[in-house]
Amino acid sequence: MALQRQALVDFLNGKTRADLSAIGDETALFSTGMVDSFTMVDLLMWLQQQTGARLGPEDISVENFDSVGRILAFAAARSKS
Amino acid sequence: MTSQAGKPGIVVLGSPRSGTTLLRRVLDAHPNIACPPETYLLSAAARFLHHDRFASGLRVGVIDGLEFAGFAEAELLERLRGFVFGFARDHASRSQKPRWAHKTAFDAFHLPAIRQLCEGHVRFVCVQRHGLDVAVSLVELVDKTGGYVSELHAYVQRYPEPLEALARAWIDSASAVADLIDECPDAISLRYEELVAEPEASLRRVFEALDEPWDPAVLARALGGSGEVGFGDWKTYGRAKIDAASVGRWRALPESSQRRLAELCNPTLERLGYPAVVFDGDDDPEQARQRYRLGLLLNRMKQGG
Repeated sequence: MALQRQALVDFLNGKTRADLSAIGDETALFSTGMVDSFTMVDLLMWLQQQTGARLGPEDISVENFDSVGRILAFAAARSKS
Repeated sequence: MTSQAGKPGIVVLGSPRSGTTLLRRVLDAHPNIACPPETYLLSAAARFLHHDRFASGLRVGVIDGLEFAGFAEAELLERLRGFVFGFARDHASRSQKPRWAHKTAFDAFHLPAIRQLCEGHVRFVCVQRHGLDVAVSLVELVDKTGGYVSELHAYVQRYPEPLEALARAWIDSASAVADLIDECPDAISLRYEELVAEPEASLRRVFEALDEPWDPAVLARALGGSGEVGFGDWKTYGRAKIDAASVGRWRALPESSQRRLAELCNPTLERLGYPAVVFDGDDDPEQARQRYRLGLLLNRMKQGG
């Protein structure tokens, strides 16, 4: 099952203790410091659980994880594979 | 050992970073109560009463030493009580208030001796707070102060991970306060989370239990910044209102840290009436390795690799 946007935002809200409900799909999360390294590691662990895919070195990039839109696109691609 | 009004003095207790300074400011804002910033009187008295115990069971300290010299324990405690409470009474008198109160954050680590000295002679107001939030706040305190007070240093010496050490400090101090609440009829229990969520209702209950009238202006005075300054949680002096922003900050910790702290703190959390912190599945060694691996890859990403 594809990762739902709301589930991702709920996860980030819980981890950052901020209300990211109104965040845009292209808002930069990690590169701006909105999401810190600890939360990113938790997010990557969580994404592995959600998609059932093990993340490799080639996956960990700003292109894949720096915004809600990119994370959802990455999760959708990995869920299909 | 009562105050001028005939009511017993008040001792505020709780683990450090549990809202005891906030409560101190509120008590001090009441027209009948004087509660100065931290004086360390009771922890100093507790150190005075400290004893060691030999294998034979012999206690070696001031109480037994004076017993050999012909001074009964009750007399020693009475004299010490007069000395310690005298400062609190005199401070209240200088503040032109009839009743004294005392609060020093680290008293909770000296409870056996403080109980020995105070029980039956004061009312205790005991504040409890979620242990994971206390641990997070203690880490901040240590970061800001750049060192450990002796009560916390003892834990850091035994446990190399600061969060674990400080969580264990919470477990011991909160458990000692919970024992007091369970065993002493003169103890009033207050939860930090309730205090910040419903300040007026919580404080009305406290003042009622202390046999003091509710003063509708007490909160405004407490937060108005007109009270004395001194030792205590500096953050409360910058607060103009009570809010619940500090509740649940532990949720921002990495999940691995949450799991470790939950494992340690859950029995005590449940004893105090908090829900246990639970997670789906175990964070086994393989997951810990994965977390480490992802952290390294993330670092490489940060450097543009």
